[in-house]
Amino acid sequence: MKFFGFVIVCLTGGLLLYGTMDLPDWGDPGSPASTHLSDYYIEHIVEETQVPNLVTAVLADYRGYDTMFETAVVFCAGLACFLLLRDFRPGKDRYFRHVPTGVMLHFKNPDTRLVAGNEFEHMDKEWVPSDMIIKTVCRILIPFIQIYALYVVAHGDFSPGGGFQGGVIFGSSLILMAISYNLKTLVKRVTEKFLSIFAAAGVLIYVGIGVAAMLMGGHFLDYGMLAPLLPSDPGHIRALGMLGVEIGVGIAVMAVMVIIYINIVSEGRHDEGL
Amino acid sequence: MHILINIAAIFFLVMGLVFFLGGAVGIIRMPDFYSRLHPAGKLDTLGIFAMVTGLVIYNLHHFSLETLLLSIKMFLIVFFVFLASPTATHSIVDAGMRAGLRPWTQKKKKE
Repeated sequence: MKFFGFVIVCLTGGLLLYGTMDLPDWGDPGSPASTHLSDYYIEHIVEETQVPNLVTAVLADYRGYDTMFETAVVFCAGLACFLLLRDFRPGKDRYFRHVPTGVMLHFKNPDTRLVAGNEFEHMDKEWVPSDMIIKTVCRILIPFIQIYALYVVAHGDFSPGGGFQGGVIFGSSLILMAISYNLKTLVKRVTEKFLSIFAAAGVLIYVGIGVAAMLMGGHFLDYGMLAPLLPSDPGHIRALGMLGVEIGVGIAVMAVMVIIYINIVSEGRHDEGL
Repeated sequence: MHILINIAAIFFLVMGLVFFLGGAVGIIRMPDFYSRLHPAGKLDTLGIFAMVTGLVIYNLHHFSLETLLLSIKMFLIVFFVFLASPTATHSIVDAGMRAGLRPWTQKKKKE
């Protein structure tokens, strides 16, 4: 069986390598992409969209469909992770620790509830003593990371950045919270319902802007048609449309990052892990 | 005046380079995990501080509001690295201790 797998992998790899022989050389000035398309973009983007960052303009405007389905792929990744890993069975044994004394309680019956104040804290399988240095520094850093993520999303049409990058930075700030405290702290603040709704809402914002352009009488994702809806300079409308799209992408990527992280580290139980 | 600024900028840049070189040599030459983290943590803080100070001095050649804001942003990078880098080193050492990795000690072969 392993042998057949090896043969199939070699065959597929060989075919892919054979397919690359037809591609133009890297940086070849005579290749189709460099003769018509790039020149057009470089000459016309600023006057057509008023967006100084060419990469964002190509990504979010000229190739808007592509980016929309990329966002859908990210959403599907989160959905697949949820469907494959999520485990709704009641948890196994649970451990609690009395903070002042260090006494440990072991609950074998999963239905038992511990009615107590803040003196008890939940313990994981891989529980480690809470480290004040790491907690404090992460508490200081996380808001700055989040502000930077919002800056990267909002400034995507002027400088390097955009929805995908900003979403990843925001998601990683939430993951940092789960690492420095514990998973319970994150799940208590950012619930599963919240994340699921946001992952879907991000894709919906993207598609919604496209449909809004259609309702105003243009093509799908034709941001220029949105001008009557927004009280702004009509020449600048394409940049605003791109910003809306980037915000949708950022929300979806942030939510999906956190969904994947939580499901993988807790083996789908959302109760304990890293 | 410009010469003085240039000399100061070059002084700080060379100082940063010396620290980075020492840190890089230290990471290779030190005997074990924990002692290798020591130069790694050092060069992330003092090395970056010296390098960015040199760049800030060079950047303030033409003193105006723009260059001043840019310099403040550069120092913000140093501030965050100063917070994050020692914490990262600390948590790596913590994880090593918890995983049961023993610190290196000189083996005495005198019989």
